[in-house]
Parts: sequence; structure tokens; C-alpha cells
Amino acid sequence: MTEESRPHHEPIPEWDEIADEILEGCGYDPDLGKRMAEDAIKIANGELTEQEFHERYHEEVKAEFGTDDRPTKPEGFDD
Amino acid sequence: MGQAWNRVLTVGGDHVDTPEGSYPEDGDGGTLEMSYQPTACQHCENAPCVKVCPVNATFTREDGIVEIDYDKCIGCRYCMAACPYNARVFNWEDPQHVPEEGTGDVEERPQGVVEKCTFCSHRVEEGLDPSCVVNCPADARIFGDFDDENSTVSKYVAEYDTHQLLDDKGTDPKTYYIQGEMSPGRPWKGKELEEELDEEPTAEEPADVTGDESVSGAAANPTGGDD
Ligand code: SF4
Ligand code: SF4
Repeated sequence: MTEESRPHHEPIPEWDEIADEILEGCGYDPDLGKRMAEDAIKIANGELTEQEFHERYHEEVKAEFGTDDRPTKPEGFDD
Repeated sequence: MGQAWNRVLTVGGDHVDTPEGSYPEDGDGGTLEMSYQPTACQHCENAPCVKVCPVNATFTREDGIVEIDYDKCIGCRYCMAACPYNARVFNWEDPQHVPEEGTGDVEERPQGVVEKCTFCSHRVEEGLDPSCVVNCPADARIFGDFDDENSTVSKYVAEYDTHQLLDDKGTDPKTYYIQGEMSPGRPWKGKELEEELDEEPTAEEPADVTGDESVSGAAANPTGGDD
């Protein structure tokens, strides 16, 4: 697709501008949610691996939710 | 009444429902135009919402549809923050089943869960197109199977100028927006309600979901013109 033919769609507001509002009063750690959301987009961007993501948040997720059932768990990962 | 799973945005203007371009001056030279972008869950291949869900309530089905298990969802809203398309909504209300019957006969969502477009998985499982496809008066939507290169949806994406929203994010949505003048075609034109089906529909080219790695949707936007 050429730059001219690319439709200039209305950009949806960047997630970080609205994340605070979304997570306010969610009943869980909003800061953890915001960091995880940011890093999940980094996985899609190819800036972070699923394994790094899983390991980075495993302890915090377990402490907050009592479980960590994210599908990013690497093979052989020790809970 | 219910929650909006599909928002119809306008393109290019300062706000929703404002045109892009400029007004004519001295009766000449105006470039105003308004085109529309229906925006629902894009059913991303690389879905950030799936990766953050601590209880695996949001998951990708075998057929590629990103779905939420409302029994598992604890309403933490992390997935809402992770979705770059703002496609998810939190259900603050008491559960409602609206409408009781018809093409939108989707599962009731409890209060306190997050919900979004399901690609009408309840219809797709019966071999029917999603409700938005059937009900679009302009036939601007096409749904089908990208794993089948002969499906209508695959042919459109192969032939026309398409784009995915925020394609720089790497989320790889399964929804494509098609540009240009065309007459959209649909693989299945039935309007039967799912509860009226007593046998599989005889679709011209049914969306084959079982055993495939992805079910794919595409939204054609004939109002987008050739720009
Ligand atoms: S559009 Fe949002 S809710 Fe839908 S799959 Fe992508 S990240 Fe998830
Ligand atoms: S709100 Fe529900 S679906 Fe979303 S991340 Fe939390 S538990 Fe998962």
C-alpha cells in the first residue's frame, strides 16, 4: 500500500492516555495492570518475548490474584 | 440499552461525525468528504488482551476468534487497558439479554465482567455469518475463512487495497478494511435466525471454522472511496 493510498483513519487514543481512567477503582492493582498492558503491546511489537513478560510479572500476578493462568507461561516454567 | 460492541467512527474529521477536508471558498474548491469506520474487536492474532488476563478468561479459540469466558472473568479490566483499539467495555449493569431473540441472541453477561464483539461465535458455529454482516444494509461486510484461499474474504483481501488498524502495533488484526469501489459479496446470504435452524445451512461457501487455525473477518468500507 502506498503512503498516498493509506487511509488516514481516526487514531484511537493511545492506550496509556486512558489506562488510568479504565483501571481506577478496578479492585486490583492499577499500576500492575498498566505496566502489564504496556508490556503486552511490546510483545506484539516484537520488543519483548512472552517468556520475559511471564517471568517479569509472575510473582506480582500470583500475589495479586492468587494464581497466574496467563497463556504466556513458557514450557517447563516452575511456578 | 446494552453496550456498544461496534462503534461507527468517522474518518479524518476533528471529531466523530465531522467531515474531513475543507469547505468551498467563493463557491469553489471544497474537498469535504465523510467516510465511516466501523470499529469493533479486531480479533488480533497477537492479542495483548489475551496475554494480560491473569485467569485466562480471555482466550483465543482454535478457530482464531478471541473470546471471553464470563464465568472466569473477575472484572480486573487489565485487558481493557491492554487493547489498543478500545474495543472492550465493562458491564456495570445488571445482566440483560437483549434482544430475547433474533440475530443478536448472544449469551447474557453478568455484572462486573468485561465484554466485547464475539464475531457472533454463536452464529458462526452454526455456519451463519455474524449478525453485523447479515444486517448491514449496504452489504459492506464480508466474513469468511482466511485459511481458505478460495473464500470470498480471501479473494477480496488478495485483490483489493486493504489495511489493518494500527498495523504498526504488530497485533495483526483479523479484520481488514478494504478501499475502493466494489460490490461486496458475501459467502452466505441467509437471514435465518439461529433458533430457526433445524439443519446446517447450504451456504455457497460456508465459513469453515472447525479444524481451521483461523476464522477471519473483513469489513469492506465502500464509502472510503479511492483515496
Ligand atoms: S481488538 Fe482488542 S479486544 Fe480485540 S483481540 Fe485485539 S486487543 Fe483483544
Ligand atoms: S477483566 Fe476479565 S477478561 Fe479482562 S483481564 Fe480481567 S479477568 Fe481477564
